[in-house]
Amino acid sequence: MENNKIKKSDLNKVFLNMQFLNLTNNYESMQAIGFLTSFAPVLKRLYQEQPKEQRVEAMKRHLKFFNSHVNSDALILGVTAAVEESTGEDEKDAVVSMKTGLMGPLAGIGDSVLKFTWLPICGSIGAALALNGSIIGPILMFLLYNVVNVVSKYYGIHWGYHKGLEIVSGSGTNALQRLANIANVVGLMVIGGLIATSVKLKFVMEIGAGENIIVLQEMFDKIMPGLFSLLATFGVYRILKRTGGKHAALIILGIMVLSIALYGMSVLG
Amino acid sequence: MGTAFLVAVWAGLCSIDDMATQMIRRPLLIATVVGLIMGDLQTSLLIGATLEVMWMGIGNVGAYSAPDMITGTAIGTALGISSGGVATAVALAVPTSLLAQQLLVLYKSGIIALNPIANRMAEEGDFDKLFRINYLPMLIVFLIRAVPTFLAVYLGAGVIDQVVAALPDVVMSGLNIAGKIIPAVGIGLLMQMMIKKGELWAFLICGFALAVYMNLSILAITLISLPLAILYDMAAQQKVTVPTVADTEEGGYDL
Repeated sequence: MENNKIKKSDLNKVFLNMQFLNLTNNYESMQAIGFLTSFAPVLKRLYQEQPKEQRVEAMKRHLKFFNSHVNSDALILGVTAAVEESTGEDEKDAVVSMKTGLMGPLAGIGDSVLKFTWLPICGSIGAALALNGSIIGPILMFLLYNVVNVVSKYYGIHWGYHKGLEIVSGSGTNALQRLANIANVVGLMVIGGLIATSVKLKFVMEIGAGENIIVLQEMFDKIMPGLFSLLATFGVYRILKRTGGKHAALIILGIMVLSIALYGMSVLG
Repeated sequence: MGTAFLVAVWAGLCSIDDMATQMIRRPLLIATVVGLIMGDLQTSLLIGATLEVMWMGIGNVGAYSAPDMITGTAIGTALGISSGGVATAVALAVPTSLLAQQLLVLYKSGIIALNPIANRMAEEGDFDKLFRINYLPMLIVFLIRAVPTFLAVYLGAGVIDQVVAALPDVVMSGLNIAGKIIPAVGIGLLMQMMIKKGELWAFLICGFALAVYMNLSILAITLISLPLAILYDMAAQQKVTVPTVADTEEGGYDL
């Protein structure tokens, strides 16, 4: 690694700059400006001594449309550094096409591992503790999430740079896919537990008269504790799935109205 | 005035974090600090936990901007603490998050103007100056959450108090019940993202069963799920390599 032009300190600067990558995320070029500002230390190392037109060319190359998941961006920044270093001026098309090829699949992995699995796990653990009034809840959530958040960005850049094209072509993506599989199962089991602990419905309605009063809640609890937590969640899930998940706010308002009505009719309490 | 200002500054800082470092950005973390500012940590923990689960599956996917949890949480928690509790907080957080979402869409459309500026900076050929393009967005991002939060918390407290006092009991109790059902929405959104294959339902039910029958905590369920997840992944790997044999023997058997 001694022969590499790009120094460890350059990659550390990329890590610091990329903390602000998403600030310039806009509807036209998405993360392109953020990518360039994060990547600037690498370009500086490679192009500082080059004529101005090559410097300009290098910067413009990274201003083309780009969008991925922020934590995946770290890996792409690392890989791009390796590719930039190892390609000649006439092969630079490869840099852009490699970035474009990586951003989609890696965004998917970033979303499914971090946003839809790890974050909910941290949030569930934190929320469960906080509901019992414990300040440990938010603190633990912050620590658990950010260890993975920050470490994945830092090592993403360094690992991406050192493994370079290897990640793009083979074993690397497989490892990420396996991580996604494992995260998927862990996440779903946590969600299952979360349904039981955070979705709560209590029936106060009683059926029958005189001696033969059936308290609905007692009957349901005998079938399965938390049965209606599960059913309510499935119901909401079905509606969300049919509508493509776009009407979450409307569903929340619907639940509010329905709850008020059912409380008014002494069904729920 | 003082607290409204502090809550607004906190919302502004969370806003920068949301677009940059992404270390806070969640209701439970935002609400806790609002609670510390307002001197009612316990209520803020309850509000934060409820909003956390409610908005669990919500996030920006691609070009879609989600309801703005940061403004929603800051305003909902602050006003919830000052006038009663979790039900008020949830009832306020939802509409404010939807209104604030529009500001974010405006922001992301507005800063398209940075593209030609970035282009001009690139043409200068100076690598060190590039980072400066972040300064203005940072200020705007701070303001788009801080200003609405300040106005709502400063002007809203009195109004919300009166409204809450005027509401009949059936509405407040109903909203309290709704607060315990609404987490199903966040969970449902997550399920939509995560249940990619039919067999995955079994894991969800398993997690639920561990919680209701054995009263296990979320952390315990996470730990139990690890070996199952690893086994599942191993089985999934097998599937990739086996088909060559299976195909010839079973013909058109479709998974």
